[in-house]
Amino acid sequence: MKPAAFEHHAAGSVEEAVSLLAELADEDVKVLAGGQSLVPLLALRLASVGHLVDVNGVAELTSISNGDGLRFGAVVRHRQVERSPEVAAANPLLAAAVRRIGHTAIRNRGTIGGTVAHADPAAEIPAVLALLDGSVEVRGVDGTRSIAAAELFDGYFTTTLEPEELLTSVHVPALPAGTGWSVQQFSRRSGDYGIVTVLATLARDGDGRISAARVAYAGVDAVPLRSSVAETALVGQTASPELWTAVGHDAAAVLEPSSDLNGSAEYRRHLAATLTARALQQASERAGGRA
Amino acid sequence: MSERTVQVTVNGVPHEASVEARRTLTDFIREDLRLTGTHVGCEHGVCGACTVLLDGEAVRACLLLAVQVDGREIRTIEGLATGEQLHPLQEALRDCHSFQCGFCTPGFVMTAVALLEEGATPNEEELREELSGNLCRCTGYQSIVAGVAEAVQRVNGSGGTAGSSVGSDAQRVEEISR
Amino acid sequence: MRMVGAKVRRVEDRRILTGNGHYVDDLQLPRMVHAAFLRSPIAHGRITHLDVADALALPGVHAVYTGADMQELCKPIRSPLAQGAVPEVFPLVTDTVRFVGDLVAMVVADSRYLAEDAVGMIDVEYDQLPVVIDYETALDPSVPPLFADLESNVIHTATKEAGDVDAAFAEADRVIEVEFSQHRIANVPIETRGLVADYDRGSGELTVHAATQSPQGLRLQLAQTLDQPMDRLRVLTQDVGGAFGLKGNIFREDFCVPIASRQLGRPVKWIEDRNEHLMASGHAREERITAQVAVTEAGDILGLKAALDMDAGAYPGLPFSAVAFTGVISLLMPGPYKIKGYRCDSRVVATNKATYVAYRGPWAMETWTRERLIDMVATELGLDPAEVRRRNLFEGAPEDRLITGPTLAGITTRECLDKALERIDYAGFRKEQEAARAEGRYLGIGMAAFIENAPGPKEMRPGGGFTGGETAKVRLEMDGRLTVITAQSPHGQGHETTLAQLAADEMGVPFDSVRVVHGDTRLTPFNIIGTGGSRAATWGSGATMVATRKLREKVLAIAAGQLEIDPADLQIVDGVVSPKGVPGKDIPLARLAGQMTLMPQTAPPGTDPNLMAEERFTGEETTGSGWSGGVHACIVEVDLGTGGVRINRWVVVEDCGRIINPAIVDGQIRGGVAQGIGQVLYERIPYDAEGTFMAGTFMDYLLPTSAEIPAIEIVHIEAPDDDGVGFRGVGEGGMIVAPATLTNAISDALAPFGAKVTEQYLPPSEVLRLAGVVPAGA
Repeated sequence: MKPAAFEHHAAGSVEEAVSLLAELADEDVKVLAGGQSLVPLLALRLASVGHLVDVNGVAELTSISNGDGLRFGAVVRHRQVERSPEVAAANPLLAAAVRRIGHTAIRNRGTIGGTVAHADPAAEIPAVLALLDGSVEVRGVDGTRSIAAAELFDGYFTTTLEPEELLTSVHVPALPAGTGWSVQQFSRRSGDYGIVTVLATLARDGDGRISAARVAYAGVDAVPLRSSVAETALVGQTASPELWTAVGHDAAAVLEPSSDLNGSAEYRRHLAATLTARALQQASERAGGRA
Repeated sequence: MSERTVQVTVNGVPHEASVEARRTLTDFIREDLRLTGTHVGCEHGVCGACTVLLDGEAVRACLLLAVQVDGREIRTIEGLATGEQLHPLQEALRDCHSFQCGFCTPGFVMTAVALLEEGATPNEEELREELSGNLCRCTGYQSIVAGVAEAVQRVNGSGGTAGSSVGSDAQRVEEISR
Repeated sequence: MRMVGAKVRRVEDRRILTGNGHYVDDLQLPRMVHAAFLRSPIAHGRITHLDVADALALPGVHAVYTGADMQELCKPIRSPLAQGAVPEVFPLVTDTVRFVGDLVAMVVADSRYLAEDAVGMIDVEYDQLPVVIDYETALDPSVPPLFADLESNVIHTATKEAGDVDAAFAEADRVIEVEFSQHRIANVPIETRGLVADYDRGSGELTVHAATQSPQGLRLQLAQTLDQPMDRLRVLTQDVGGAFGLKGNIFREDFCVPIASRQLGRPVKWIEDRNEHLMASGHAREERITAQVAVTEAGDILGLKAALDMDAGAYPGLPFSAVAFTGVISLLMPGPYKIKGYRCDSRVVATNKATYVAYRGPWAMETWTRERLIDMVATELGLDPAEVRRRNLFEGAPEDRLITGPTLAGITTRECLDKALERIDYAGFRKEQEAARAEGRYLGIGMAAFIENAPGPKEMRPGGGFTGGETAKVRLEMDGRLTVITAQSPHGQGHETTLAQLAADEMGVPFDSVRVVHGDTRLTPFNIIGTGGSRAATWGSGATMVATRKLREKVLAIAAGQLEIDPADLQIVDGVVSPKGVPGKDIPLARLAGQMTLMPQTAPPGTDPNLMAEERFTGEETTGSGWSGGVHACIVEVDLGTGGVRINRWVVVEDCGRIINPAIVDGQIRGGVAQGIGQVLYERIPYDAEGTFMAGTFMDYLLPTSAEIPAIEIVHIEAPDDDGVGFRGVGEGGMIVAPATLTNAISDALAPFGAKVTEQYLPPSEVLRLAGVVPAGA
């Protein structure tokens, strides 16, 4: 199980990386970030590349900034996010989601930009972007553009980035004050991708009614999904276990997951309903605590 | 295929070698540097047998290319003991009969070394979670968990979970509806 | 200090904890080249075109071999132990591929990277043939056999009958019939298979370094197929990274690599990668049993009829094929229970899948079937499963016999059951379960019993059984240290420790002065199995003990002659011979051995100065029932929201006779239980209807991790020290009984839903299907 031959280019800057991508566009070029998904594909010869543009050494892509939400350079490691007091304070949901990625050794190398660009439909961070209407910034030879999460994911392992564009940063909007949140994931083993992952945020008004709610899924479709069914059904309602169960059921009913070795579509729907109810319950408790 | 020169410090010893771009760090360590204590169990980043420390952090060597460690510092299982004197972790694992066939061992040892060096004092559930990125087929894990817990106690003391990086992960357990 | 029975730290651990073990992949020899294989992507097809020219032209490639080459370079593979219908097979396919992963060609190149590049350049085309994937197709006489030289895809049938089965069924109040199915899984040691073959053109000697459980078995088979003289054929094995039965087998790659080395005159290495391993190394346990059990309303089990089908995959296993294990299944199925009549019909079929291999307790289907049946009987009759067991268990009385023959005198299953239920607080749990159900939480308890003839009572193994016992050699070195040469070939079991404990006690030398040597066919006695089948505790230990005793006698005779006293008045303590109770007449073993080796002519008359002993242990010195066994019990909670199963407790009560090293015994049990849990909850080798293999990575084939396996509580029922060989095998028991224990617990948790657990694989989706939460077809 050895990769086929390729050339490796260690980019020293975004500019260099972008010009390499443009220059090698016709020769099967791919960006190498943490490599935790790409290298196995190369080793199994399920993917082959002519050139890797390695962005691990690009210093300008390694910082976290906090202003209008959190902004992560593309090669910020998961572990860096997980350990950041700033992230824990500003966006505990993101901190919780990132801890669900693989194992420590994987998070020590895996990057925020890498997981978003890889666009695994079961991955946590893309679902966080979908949930919070995050975005990414990408750079090509012609300049920079921003892509909203809703426009970014384009199918299984596919994004709307152009081949010669480099994802440079990931923007995760802040959780509004008083918002409760939850990350619910079911995987067969510790550290596996969730069969289904549900993310939820919930806020209540002074009367205790739900004033805002967001629900997003990973693992139920080719791309991370927001549940308009759930969100619509929640707003204006009063929190109750019955509501969570009903919303979970209704939201799951419209999902169209596929079947695989880990479970059928029907099983995934059931799991989505369960985890949605649990996520809403927990988000509601946390909203209560913060109000 | 073009080759590249890599300069790397392994267990405190500087090395320089010319490698193909596609050469994995595992093959580089084992075959080029002839440090065969690091094992290859799956070559796709799941089993953890090839875990080494890269600038102090546990990483899967099979998911890194040798060219990526140019200028970096690596530690492998061969670097732990001082002469005949075992590292306290190795002592604890030996005392607890932690392993059987020894093949997964380097990965567990290096994962646990990183944990110890962070000053972690995980409880059993947290420790099982931390070690879950390394597969063992012989032991059923109980002896490994016991051995690492013993080492934690000997090295970091049994100060509970407060203040440790693993302890601060406590809410992670709560998130897991397994 | 007595070493046997103590939790002695393992000899092996210093080297494995410091990265100084020697596994086959660690070997780098001068001029060594690397092999990679082209494997079939389809389950069944005829090769219509095979062109290796491009691969051969790649710089750095030394050779490319195909099946046609193999027909020139070796003989058809013949097992010395072949059973059932055996086709003519060569190491590489000659015209037809028979499973996904079948061997089409081998490339040898300067590096594994290059070898894989070249494999990708081989041009091959296939004509697809209809596949045989399920039992029904395999059993269909109108379907052509996978091998033209076989008459059928049914390669073996047998019937075992005992007692009066018709009478037992006629007497019954009820007959309960169940179809049980056990899924295909794999052993999956963390070290894959691999070998380095090194042919020396000067001496004509072929040295093979292999990750094997049986160096002598491999050597014997290589001699046959490669026509290599055995005086010029040596197999070496150092550390092996787990095997669990897999590496007791010999595979077709094991012939290809030495053949290439012989042709090229240089060392050739092949290390199986994980994808090859999962796809083609060998798979285990795919079996089904239709069982009928005849019972009374009171819960007496009268009779059992079983029809077993076993899926052997495409190629016959070497040296033992699937056929060998049907006999054990049918022998042991009634277990420690009294019944009056029994019949087991067995069939073994060939399919377009990877070859069947033995996996830790390869006959475990018998325990799963029986223990699941007992729970189903209890449910059907409205009885407590513990009571049904108690009612039917043998006491271990002198007259108790397995209905299939062997005596069960001395078995302790009943005691194990009582202790297990007490330890897990069975009565208390039932109350907790009821309260939990009222809250919508589903807890379950499962229990299961097993017995294993490791080694079995003496009457089952006259003359030492089918291997004729086992031989060990022991040598007193000139410095007074002891070298034990064992026929065992350990791969994690810690025999360098346990056999040293035994030899140290027998000889009277410090534990640290014993070295256990294994894995070199030039030195080690022949043993076709090597380490496997839970044999080491009895046979490896017994051989070490009798050989050491023989050597001790020689030493005492010499010392007695020198001191002119009766050998019976001598003792050896800490490596020093001395007359009991007489100080000042010490003879250190180093002095004695040095003298006898350098000046054998000074040996007292009638003594033998050759301080080496080689003895065959045939089992006469064994004590105890001969049966290993025990009862496991576990408690689970099933989450109906996710289908997840959480194991809250796992209690083991086991009897393996005397214990040499408690830490090692506990490790064997826990490791076995973990594999059994993996088998039920996580692991499955999936093929689709076209025979496509679907679990080629560790992302698809799920091994349990430290977060899934619970703490396992162990209680030993240990026999007293009686100076005999009272140690029994413990390697397989955990794995044999764990699936029954766990599936019984899950079934119990799902009892309110009327769930019938008849398929052993219970992933979350299946758990929810059984609970009626998710529809079938899931």
